[in-house]
Amino acid sequence: MKLRMPEMPSATLLAALDGYNLLPAIVFLPTRRRCDQAASEAALTRRDPNDSRRDARRDFMRAFVEEHPEVRGHRHWDTIIRGGVASHHAGHIPAWKLVIEKLMSAGLLDAIFATATVAAGVDFPARSVVLTGADARTGSGWRPLTASEMQQMTGRAGRRGRDNVGFVIAAPGLHQDPQRIGQLLKAPPDPLVSQFRATYTTLLNLLDAYGSFASVREIAERSFAYRDFARQIVQLERSRTDSEEKIHNALKEAACDIPTSTVLGLERLIGARARLQEAKPQTRAEVFHRWLNEVVKPGRVVGIGRSGRRLVMVTEKHDGSVRGFREDGRPASFPQERIGRVYAPVYRLKEEEIERAFDEIRERGRELTVPEPRLRDADAEETDALKIIDDSIDNLLPQNADKQRCTEVLWQLYTTAEDYERASRRIDALREEVWLPFEQRARVLAIFGYLDYEAEKVTDRGRWLADLHIDRPLLVGEALEARLFNSLEPKQLAGIMAALTADEDRDYGQLELDDDIWTPLARFEDIAFKVSAEEWKHGLEPAPELNSSAAGAAVRWAGGMHWSDIVRETRAEEGDLFRMFSRTGEALLQIAGLHRNHPEAANMAAAVAEMVLRDPIR
Amino acid sequence: MRRNTGKNRDKRRSHDRRPEKNSPERSARHRGLEANERAQRVVPPSRETRRFLEGIGTPRKTPFKPDPFQTEALAALEYEDVLVTAPTGSGKTWIAREEIRRLLDSGRRAWYTSPLKALTNSKYQEFIDEFGANKVGILTGDRKENAEAPLIVGTTEIYRNQLFDSLRGGSEVTADLVVLDEAHYLADEDRGHVWEEAIILTPPRIRLLLLSATIGNAHEFALWLEEIRGVRCGVITGPEKRPVPLRSAMLLPDKRLLSLLNDEGRLNPEILALMAVDERR
Repeated sequence: MKLRMPEMPSATLLAALDGYNLLPAIVFLPTRRRCDQAASEAALTRRDPNDSRRDARRDFMRAFVEEHPEVRGHRHWDTIIRGGVASHHAGHIPAWKLVIEKLMSAGLLDAIFATATVAAGVDFPARSVVLTGADARTGSGWRPLTASEMQQMTGRAGRRGRDNVGFVIAAPGLHQDPQRIGQLLKAPPDPLVSQFRATYTTLLNLLDAYGSFASVREIAERSFAYRDFARQIVQLERSRTDSEEKIHNALKEAACDIPTSTVLGLERLIGARARLQEAKPQTRAEVFHRWLNEVVKPGRVVGIGRSGRRLVMVTEKHDGSVRGFREDGRPASFPQERIGRVYAPVYRLKEEEIERAFDEIRERGRELTVPEPRLRDADAEETDALKIIDDSIDNLLPQNADKQRCTEVLWQLYTTAEDYERASRRIDALREEVWLPFEQRARVLAIFGYLDYEAEKVTDRGRWLADLHIDRPLLVGEALEARLFNSLEPKQLAGIMAALTADEDRDYGQLELDDDIWTPLARFEDIAFKVSAEEWKHGLEPAPELNSSAAGAAVRWAGGMHWSDIVRETRAEEGDLFRMFSRTGEALLQIAGLHRNHPEAANMAAAVAEMVLRDPIR
Repeated sequence: MRRNTGKNRDKRRSHDRRPEKNSPERSARHRGLEANERAQRVVPPSRETRRFLEGIGTPRKTPFKPDPFQTEALAALEYEDVLVTAPTGSGKTWIAREEIRRLLDSGRRAWYTSPLKALTNSKYQEFIDEFGANKVGILTGDRKENAEAPLIVGTTEIYRNQLFDSLRGGSEVTADLVVLDEAHYLADEDRGHVWEEAIILTPPRIRLLLLSATIGNAHEFALWLEEIRGVRCGVITGPEKRPVPLRSAMLLPDKRLLSLLNDEGRLNPEILALMAVDERR
């Protein structure tokens, strides 16, 4: 149940809070834009009547600029000085966020408008925390806030040593739900859930360190995620041991000289027999149904009804329903069971061909009919298989004098053996679940020569790849092996690494890309395609797309463009550019570390890293 | 409380000229508009609101005295790993700082990891102020200073990478204590696995101090640590009460402030009534 009320204008909201002496406050808003708007609006209508605080803010900011010139002339400068309010979110550069945090803890701000990201990480409390809704904004819509997020946000309410009480205020908003907020306030904290997963880097490092898949597997099985599985496995193993003992003791008691494994083997054979029996068609209708599944396909002509006189050319078949054309050209769709006859030739689905097909069937239909199966034929195949199993079962049974008695014991132990086998299968499945993602990656790495799958060894190539701590190391490794980087201009290398490390769907401005960056980017994409194709074949999730808008911005930044110019020209948010360049620089430094195996690329990467990691990116 | 401003008084006069409350021309849109204008007035706080706001203000300065949970955690660190779960701002960092001080004083070494570069940088500065520049180094993806110092501050990724290196024959991680700040990052979808790897690969001889926000399964988490490390792990839960008590309220468009929950912790009936009206609209 929501209490839908339009959001208060930010100035009104602050005035109301001020009326109750609830400032300073952190107001959480769903988007960055709303934060910026709210701060500027509040500053426009709001005037801090206290001149000395305004002056204090100005002095503070001026002093700060001495150390952090990148915040000079920031577009929100006046908002802060005049209005005593600020917006704080990931779209701002770190220095700007820092000055806001410092102003807040110096008691010089009345309000900060922030997105929920503030709640995690930096620590600046206020007297009150204001929530305008019970939902959080995601990339694709709204979702309810979690108890942990609520805890993070309310954790900012009440400054130690400066407030007797902290307040959390639910303010009007379109996604407001006081009941939900009340529940979240009382909710127990969310449990910590493991996000353990396989990565190329982890696999290469662990395999190189321990020298066998078994050891890597053992490490994976120590993960918090696996703990739950492990507990289940221990239980399953215990019940398996119990079953085994039960079988062993029963055999001993009956003085049957049969190994336990025979009992288990018997269970397996009987299981196979049951599955086969189940799959065996029992009625004529069933046989016919299976036969239709097999023979009805696009391009064949079929006759409808038992007489099979109405002909249809099949064009599509899906889930037991068939579509096609009648002789008069009208479309037809009907369930597969209505087919009474199937004709052997497969025609191409072309208009002329279809006409010829109907003529031919009309003329020689009788001889072209696919013969229907008989129940006896279908039976015969399965009966053979069953006989083989039955013989094996017979061979397993004791052949000596005790035959009668011991066979009886064996049958009595059958359900226990079944328990044993079921537990074994479940154990295997659980263990596989953790290991499979590693195995898939191992196979992909083996294809590209970074790992010898048979020998369970990291190759020389894999050893330097293990040192490359970046996103998608395999792709970069392949680019290095293809000597793609050696032929590049430094700027271009910055562009390519930016395209790789940037968030896939973030827009860093639509700066035009020159041919001299398009060409290497296209070559890089070719390599990416090759790598993704193998990954896909081995069941790995598709990697994100390269971000060409990031490349455009990075080429210019590495080319020496001024920070304020690049912010203006890309129209991207400063904070996004900052993070993207910073991560690009870090990725370049990783490549720079490969001076032993790829000296040329490493040297260039080191130089380009310096061009990227210049002020204010540090 | 601040005085009513002139602007607000103007609004009130214009409001007086508005149609009667129940006149037919009051459409839903009007209602929204009016709420806006009404909001400019300051409503004199009701008795309930005054009660709700009672005690608001700044406390008198009192000398710092560590909370029992902080000293308890310090004591436990002498002989076991420790997981501290407490809300933000309740003084988890104090535990880490005092333990680091104890170690540095006796010539031993520590690693302090944090999830964000910004946090790492501010911790670096904080520790320099506390222990002196020669005692502290920093390692992040793009910053490497004083890497041989007895106290290293860095991102969790870099610490994990050092563990990988030492496993593959590189130099040992020489710390006597590793502090994992914001340990609940283990549940982060993108990067959480790095925390788990760091924990699994940290040699059991190194003491672990995990600082986490409050989590629902602290004991299970600690049991896992014990199982994989073979070292006892104590769980220290932060103060029962928040360092600063919290009250919750709902602010209405007419600027009234209603306590969100009543004394029994249930939703204030007055808000429930408002919601019922909203549903009918």
